[in-house]
Parts: sequence; C-alpha cells; structure tokens
Amino acid sequence: MSERKIIKTTCKSCHGGCGVLVTVEDGAITHIEGNPDTPTWGTMCSKGLSSIQHINHPDRLKYPLKRTGERGEGKWQRISWDEALDTIADKMKESIEKYGPSSIAVSQGTGRGYNRYTHRLARSIGTANIITPGYICHSPRIGLYGLVTGYGRLYCDYHGWGGEFPKTQISWAKQLEISSADAEMAVWYLNSLRHVKNLIVVDPRETALSSRAALWLQIRPGTDAALALGMINIIINEELYDKDFVENWTYGFDKLKERVQEYTPERVAEITWLSAEDIIKAARAFAVDTPGCIQIGSSLERQANCGQTLRAIICLMAITGNIERPGSMMSWMVPDTGLLEDFFFEIPLTDEMRKGIVGSDVHKMGAARTAHSDSVIKQLLNGDSVVKVWFSVGGQQILHLANTNEVIPAMLNLDFLAHVDQFMGPMAEHADIVLPAAHWLEMDDIYNMHPRFMIEAINKTVDPPGEAWPDNKIFNELGKRVAPQYWFENVEAMLDYQLRKASLTWQEFSQKGFLAKMGEDQIYYKYKTDYWREGGGFPTPTGKLELFSTVLESMGYDALPYFQEPGESPYSTPELAREYPLVLSTGYRQPFYFLSQYRNIPWLRSFQKDPIVQIHPETARKLGIEDGDWAWIESPRGRIKQKARLFPGIHPGVVMATANCFYPEEPGPLHGLLTSNPNVLTSNEHCDPMYGSPDLTALLCKVYKVE
Amino acid sequence: MRWGMVVDLTSCARCYACIAACRIEHFLPMGMSWPRLMALETGGDRPVVSTYSVRCNQCQEALCIEVCPTGATQQRADGIVWVDQDMCVGCRYCIIACPYQNRTFLSRDKDKGFFPGESLTDFEKAGKILYAHQVGTTEKCNFCAERIDAGLARGLRPGTDREATPACVNTCPARALTFGDLDDPNSEVAGLIREREGFQLHPEYDTDPSIYFIDGKIGYADTSD
Repeated sequence: MSERKIIKTTCKSCHGGCGVLVTVEDGAITHIEGNPDTPTWGTMCSKGLSSIQHINHPDRLKYPLKRTGERGEGKWQRISWDEALDTIADKMKESIEKYGPSSIAVSQGTGRGYNRYTHRLARSIGTANIITPGYICHSPRIGLYGLVTGYGRLYCDYHGWGGEFPKTQISWAKQLEISSADAEMAVWYLNSLRHVKNLIVVDPRETALSSRAALWLQIRPGTDAALALGMINIIINEELYDKDFVENWTYGFDKLKERVQEYTPERVAEITWLSAEDIIKAARAFAVDTPGCIQIGSSLERQANCGQTLRAIICLMAITGNIERPGSMMSWMVPDTGLLEDFFFEIPLTDEMRKGIVGSDVHKMGAARTAHSDSVIKQLLNGDSVVKVWFSVGGQQILHLANTNEVIPAMLNLDFLAHVDQFMGPMAEHADIVLPAAHWLEMDDIYNMHPRFMIEAINKTVDPPGEAWPDNKIFNELGKRVAPQYWFENVEAMLDYQLRKASLTWQEFSQKGFLAKMGEDQIYYKYKTDYWREGGGFPTPTGKLELFSTVLESMGYDALPYFQEPGESPYSTPELAREYPLVLSTGYRQPFYFLSQYRNIPWLRSFQKDPIVQIHPETARKLGIEDGDWAWIESPRGRIKQKARLFPGIHPGVVMATANCFYPEEPGPLHGLLTSNPNVLTSNEHCDPMYGSPDLTALLCKVYKVE
Repeated sequence: MRWGMVVDLTSCARCYACIAACRIEHFLPMGMSWPRLMALETGGDRPVVSTYSVRCNQCQEALCIEVCPTGATQQRADGIVWVDQDMCVGCRYCIIACPYQNRTFLSRDKDKGFFPGESLTDFEKAGKILYAHQVGTTEKCNFCAERIDAGLARGLRPGTDREATPACVNTCPARALTFGDLDDPNSEVAGLIREREGFQLHPEYDTDPSIYFIDGKIGYADTSD
C-alpha cells in the first residue's frame, strides 16, 4: 500500500517565496505545483519547479569533506560532522586569540531567508566582518530608504490594499517580471500592470514588457542619476510637484531645486543618450498621473555612483508625493512576530566590532555593519588582511566579486576557508572544509519575504541526501561550539524563539503556512500619524523626509544627489574608449537561472546552454560577427568569451554580457570560471563612496570574433 | 463544447514556467518539450520583442489526423487531438504534416535519463509507473486531458477550477494563459477573443486552431498628449 501525502511549503529557489504543494509518494516527490491558497495564487516559475531534478542531482554533496591535498587540488576525505565543526570552531578560536574576533569573516550568498543566521553567528562571536553581495544588491536601497523611513524598506504597492493601484509605474533597470528578486513578486507586479495607466521602462535593452509600455527609455548604462535629476528638474520647474507633501513633510526642497538646475532636459539627453522629449514625457507622466511607484533594479547598485543614483530616485518619489500613499512606495508593517532580523539585531554591534569592519573607514554607509568585500580582497592580496578565517555559507564570492584574476589569488591567501554548499563549485573547491547543505525541499525553516509583510513556513518534504544538513542546523551547531550562550538546544527551539512574539510555536506555524499583514491590516500615510514620530513626520533628525540629507552631510558626503560618470566610459576615459569602444554592461540574466545557480540542472540548462552576449546586429556586422558565433569580450582586466546573440533591442554602442556564469560540468577547481564570467572584466578600483559598489554594469570593452 | 486557450502576448514575460510545469505534469523525458517559447524580435527604430508560448493547437481541421496511417492520432468530441501511443508506429508523417511543428518523436536517444550514466532519480522512477512514455512514438500537448477528464468527473470546470485546468495555465505567474470552452459565448476565452481581437496562428492553412493569441499595449492610455 503506497503512502501519498501533499505537503505545503515555500519555495526559495530565488528571493521569491512562492507557496508550494509537494506530492510525496513513498518518500519520493512525484509532483510540485504552486499552492493556490497562498498570496502567490498557485503560480511557480521554472526554477522552483525544476527543484525536482535539483534534489536528486548525482553531484549533490552528501558528507562533510576535508582537504587532503593542496588547496584547490581537489583531493578530499570524508569526515564526520563533529570533526568538521570542531575543526572550524578551533580555527575560529585560535584566530580570535591571535588576532581578535574581527579576523573571522562570515559570508553568504544572496539573502534568501538566511541572512539573520549569518549575522547572528558573526555577531555572536564578536565580528561584523560579514561578507555579503548586499552592497551590489538591495542593501544600498535599504540603507538610503532608512534615512527617510526609519527601518529602511520601501516597496512598490502592487496590492491595491489602500483602494488604489499605481497609475504610473517606472521599471528602472529591473526585470521583475522574470526575477521576483529583492523587492516584490513577479506575480503581483504583473497583476498590477492590469491597472496601470503608464508603464515606463528604463532599460538599455528592449524587453517583452518595454515593447508594450507607454514609454521605453533606452538609457546609456551608468547614467541613471542624470535621468532622475533631469526628471526632478522638469517636475520642479514646471511646478508639477506635490506642493502639499513637499511643503509639509520634506526638508531641503529649495536646495534640491538649486542643485537640479544644471540637469536640464537637453544636458541630460546628451549624458543619457535619450531624447529630451522622452525625458520630459516621463517626468510629466510620473508627476501628473499619480499615484506612482518606481521598481528599482539592483543594476543601479552595481555602479560606482550607486548611492547618489538611489538618492536622486528617492527624491523623485518624494517630490511627487509618492510615499506612503496607496499605490505608491510603501513601508510595510511586519507580521506579529516583529521583524525577523531582530534575531541578530538583539546582539548589538560593539565599537570594537565596528572598528574591525574592513572598509568601514572609507565606505561609511556600506561597511557600517558588513565588510566591504573588495577591500577584503585587496587586503588579502597585499598580505595585510584583517580577515584570516572565512566561514562561507552558500554564495560564490569567487565568482561574483569584481576582477576575478585578483579574487582567486586573494582567496588562496586565507589561513582557513570553510564553505557550505550543495555542489562542489568553484568556492567549495578552494576551501579547506566543505559542508553539505540541504535544499529547501529538505528543511524546516521560516522564510522571510523581502517586502517583510509576510513570513512563510518552509516545511520539510523529503530527507536530504547522505548527511546533508539544513543551513539553520549548521549555524546552530557551529554557534554552540563558538558562542554557546547565543545558540539553541536544537533547530525547533531556535524556530520557536523567532516566532515567540506572535505567540506561535514552530509546529503551529508550520501548519498555518504563513503569517502576513495584508489588506486592511496595513496602515498608509504613517507620517500623518504618531507611528514614526509623535505628532506625525518621519524618523529623521529634522522629522521630515530629507531631500537634503543631514545624516549624509554629517558623515561627510554630499547631502544632495549628483551625477558622476562611471569610472570607465566614452566621456570619463576617452583615451581608453579608443581601444575599448563599446559600453559593456554585465547585467544580462535569464529567468531560468538565479545568479550563479542552476546551470547544472538539466531542464534549466536546456533553455540556454551557453552564456549569451547581446550585441546590436549593425555593430556585429561591422565586427564580422554572426548570430551564434563565439565572441571575445575584452576589457583592460582580461577577456572572456560568450556566444553572440544579434539583438535589435540593444543600443549599437552597448553590449550586454550574461552575468555570473561558470560551467559546473567542467573540471575543478575553476569549473570554467575564467572562460565566460564577466567579472574577469570588471574593475574593483572604482567604487561608490558610500557603499563601495564597483562599476559592474557600466564599463568599456572591445568585442571580436573567436577564431 | 470545444476546449481552447488564449495566450496574452501583452503579459507573457518569457519565463519558461509553462514548460517546466508541463515537464513535471507529464514526467517528460529530457529532450522532450510539449510547449515551447518562440522568440520574435524585430529590428527598426523601435524594435518589438515578443514571445509566443506555443503548443499543439488542437486544430479542428487537423492535418496530423489526415496523414496518420494507423488512426493513432484522433480527435475527441471536445476538440482535443490526441495520440494513442499503442497504435502509433512512429512513421512521423504527422511531424512533417504539422504546419506548426508542434509534434516530437521520442527516439531512444532522447530518453537517456536526467543524468546520463547515473541511475534514475526518484522522480523518473515514479514517472515510469505514473506516466509511461513509449519510445518510438510521436508525442505532443494534449491540453492536460487527464486533468480535464478527472476534473469533469468530479464536477469541476476546466479553466475555472484548478484541478481541471492544464498545468501550464495554473503555473503562469503572468496569468497570460486562459483556458475554457470556445463554443460557450459566455466563457472567458470567448470574451477575450471577441473583445481583444484574438487571432490564430497561420490562418492561411485553414486548420482552425483552438489556441488564440491576443496582444496590445500595457496601460489604459498613452502619454502622447
């Protein structure tokens, strides 16, 4: 008699958090589909669905391993969890004794519901050298929104809970429709487009949605701040701004007005390669057809002018009154559990931890509670590294950090590297100890959705392969060895603890599936209430939404947004542009891959085997490149090859390379890491003053055919 | 009663979810895809990027039925065209005849397993029992006839009730796929075709597909004023 059950869980194949129904028969998964009784309405994408292949992949890591040969030589020996964790704990303790707690780095990949464990582990052992991709993905937004909204999150109101959907939407350097990443869910965004009047897409490339949008602004990569400032110029000078909001609830309007005068539509058109008419059209639509929202893509955070670009866009939201109004930018209230990040906030950063953060002296916003990754790499290369021992959980820093040819030798200079993963990828190959991780179908955990109005239960459906463990158990068991007072008897006790404020146990929450504040539970116009401040206002030093940021001023940054050319561009480095005449952006993503993941999943790889570089047909013709040819892309740092895709929807002066690619099937330790990964081309020299974000999406290159 | 589908090109985000859902629903072997995405990209000053999510059109005048020498390809009263795998001899005339190229021959080399050289995964093993594929025959989309039939038997409505609706329609995050009865003027599909000028692919072939496409601009007004 076969046993068949349907288990409700939550997908974390990307940032999303789609509700899932998993059919398990006799211990094997026979079906996966979306759960219609969740806020994602039963929809799921190719990544989550293909988890069926992922979990049974023969290359899954099954046992803890320790290196027996040279680092990167690929010689491993199976060890027990006790030996592995004891070794890591001993290395940490040794390093703390010799160099202090800041010599320990804890790193993670993109934040998919486990950030709070990474941060808690780091803080519990006394270090804030947390290495995350946050500074090139989402953290700058959170930090800068934090200057105006206190806790630091503004999201597009796609939900209509306040009775209105956005009338004008700007999708800025973002393809939320295929990503569900770092802000909202594709399914909600796509639904909101049924109610929109004007969709404005800012993207160097045509997309399926921009083809049908009211306006497509084919911007030159790296010039987004100029566009935002130009739009502000038009809105202020044409007096289209929200006078009531600006007068009563903002600070520094006159200074902003003065600043934007230099960004006339004509000048901005020259900078951005857009037409002045289109810039004016976009500005008027956003100011007149309110409410509106702006979906910001992390490509803007992969530019060395990221801080001021985001500041400009936030000012654009503010002067049009698109803050806290139904259908605009919202700071959602969290469920009754409180913010799950309290799990690490409850261990405060000490002055010693702050002082020990690598890069904190320079990048005061980005390296305030996490390390500046590129500075860590530079220090490791120079032999004066603060970081000696690196505990890495998921993520492939070796792949996603700028200038791979510096990153690899830097990693080899570590005293000790332990890495947690599901597969033996390039990061694991360079480690001293590798720990096998469970998939989301194989674990119990609480998923913390990015907009933070909802948490969801990840319920275990099948056993992990071999001795693989869920991340939360790995953190807890290592935590118990290095800082026992902060860790828990077992995972269930740890989950109970995180749910305590909602008076729920893990068992109860697991049954319930999700906990959310939606619909009438959300409060709009919080600045008109006592929510943030007695008598109304924003939780800033002036009590107003600061167009002129007094906080940034006190930190020594320009308090008003400005545009700065990328470190390499036809205008900032015209000499270089003679040899490297094309603008290179490395932001190309595919809906079936997530960052560096899933190129080893057969169903997903079947959609696109080789990494693609998009190039305009005219440009390609001049270079003698035909569709499907392999092409070299070369920058001053090195060269890679990708398959040329002749694409009429890209500017003839721009090429778009596929990000984060390696070839899992190729031999280690590099697995083709240097063959096609665009970070071989990117520079870690020119970084954003506030956040340290390097120019990943706006560089120069030349392209030629692979002979 | 004639089951049909409307694909909204305004919404489709070319995410490939429909394909993945179908592969799971029918335990498709590697190398087999019933739905596909076809990219359309035009040049010019204002290039248009579009994606046609295509699958067997369930034609009312189906050329595949006409050419099938064994009677394996048949049409049901509800319009669904299906292949009786036990009758198919693998001659592949239908593949040549289908003007939309929506049929695939399952050859032995297409069924090497998810991970060639490795043992079958649990999911593949389950598929051998729950949805066996016959090597040497031709396959195509069947509008998830199993779901429709099982759903109808329970009194559910295809296109409205999830358990009676094709898997690709259910999973689509863009809600770009709509399913229902083309013969019922009050159905959602009939309404969409009527109000948004639904069109069939290659009407010049006189095959009368049961899949319609709609397209248009996003937004209820433009900004040109």
